[in-house]
Amino acid sequence: MADCEKLLAILEEKFGAKRDLADKWGFTVLVERENLHALMLFLRDDQSAKFDVLLDIVGVDYLGFKDYEGPRFAVEYVLKTMKAPVRRMRVKVLVSETDCKVPSIADLYAIANWQEREVFDQYGVVFEGHPDLRRLLNHAEFEGHPLRKDYPAHKRQWLSTNDYLLPELEARLESKGYKIVARSKEVMPNDDEYLEGSRKV
Amino acid sequence: MTALAEKANIITSSLDFIVNWGRKNSLWPFPYGTACCAIEFMSTETARYDLSRIGSEYVRFTPRQSDVLLVAGTITYKQAPILKRIYEQMAEPRWVIAMGACASSGGFYDAYCTVPGIDHIIPVDVYIGGCPPRPESFFDAMFQLQEKIQDESYMKARAERVKEQLEMIKAKTAECKENAEKAVKNAVSCGVQTIKEGRDNLMKKVAFWKE
Ligand code: SF4
Repeated sequence: MADCEKLLAILEEKFGAKRDLADKWGFTVLVERENLHALMLFLRDDQSAKFDVLLDIVGVDYLGFKDYEGPRFAVEYVLKTMKAPVRRMRVKVLVSETDCKVPSIADLYAIANWQEREVFDQYGVVFEGHPDLRRLLNHAEFEGHPLRKDYPAHKRQWLSTNDYLLPELEARLESKGYKIVARSKEVMPNDDEYLEGSRKV
Repeated sequence: MTALAEKANIITSSLDFIVNWGRKNSLWPFPYGTACCAIEFMSTETARYDLSRIGSEYVRFTPRQSDVLLVAGTITYKQAPILKRIYEQMAEPRWVIAMGACASSGGFYDAYCTVPGIDHIIPVDVYIGGCPPRPESFFDAMFQLQEKIQDESYMKARAERVKEQLEMIKAKTAECKENAEKAVKNAVSCGVQTIKEGRDNLMKKVAFWKE
């Protein structure tokens, strides 16, 4: 905590960040999304911060939240460091429903790739500059974003057939240095086998 | 002993009984384990409970070699087509056990992501309650399945299965018979013709020599 409070002055000055006073027990800073990428880079690399672990990226939907005014969505980045015992921080970006975009930080933390895909999948927040923004948990034919408060929790959606992942698997094997010597005719990539929304290799 | 063995050693029985006896005592499960229930199945396999006592120790990890599809765990909508495909790949005869609350009814995952019971996708023979069920209940399910198999009739199923084939064979036989009859008639008329011709020739020759 003390470390973080020291950091706050720099964050305020450099990135226009504010401490979120609603978080009474932890330490959360609010930042505009324009400054998010630079701020995360600073937090990762600066000697006094060194937040080298991105624990999670969390989406929040404030629809119907008691006594709340402001943009509907928020994205929170939970950070931790391996260099000091209790230095933890959360960074929060507020996003409005009409302009539901946040810059991606997948180039700073490798794990952010999947975490951002998850938030996109469940909340529909678009991460700009993400290398491969697809659904992660729900299937390719799913419509809507289930963790939004206005998604009916019992609305079930069937998947018609399983996704065609073999070409992706082969591409991955090849990138690891394996070679595909033979393929049987049945497993040849065939455009009809792909579901809409899945990635073609 | 030798005297006994020298005598004819025959048991008479119905085919149904023998087939069912063989089937029910070597049920090879395919463990479709997607969640915590699969752990309980593993302990059912271990020496303490020992599923091999009823001949099911061969856990097959390919649907083409197994008789019982054991669905142990939560099935999500993303998983559902895979489960269906696995079921379709299994050879007849095949049975399905839904193990645990999740596979039977969706369990407490009463939400957008979980299939509320695998019977929405594939037919189920035995359901096991519990979260997770104990190995004892798994044994109970296996015994129930065995009882069910006992009542099945191999011959009836076979008759049903080969019905089309049988009809085809019947039609083919009738056709062949007809063809054969025609051929015989042809041959007979041909033979009559040749005999007639031969006699005519002979008559001509006789007439010639007479002259
Ligand atoms: S029934 Fe219970 S133990 Fe079995 S898979 Fe579901 S949650 Fe896990």
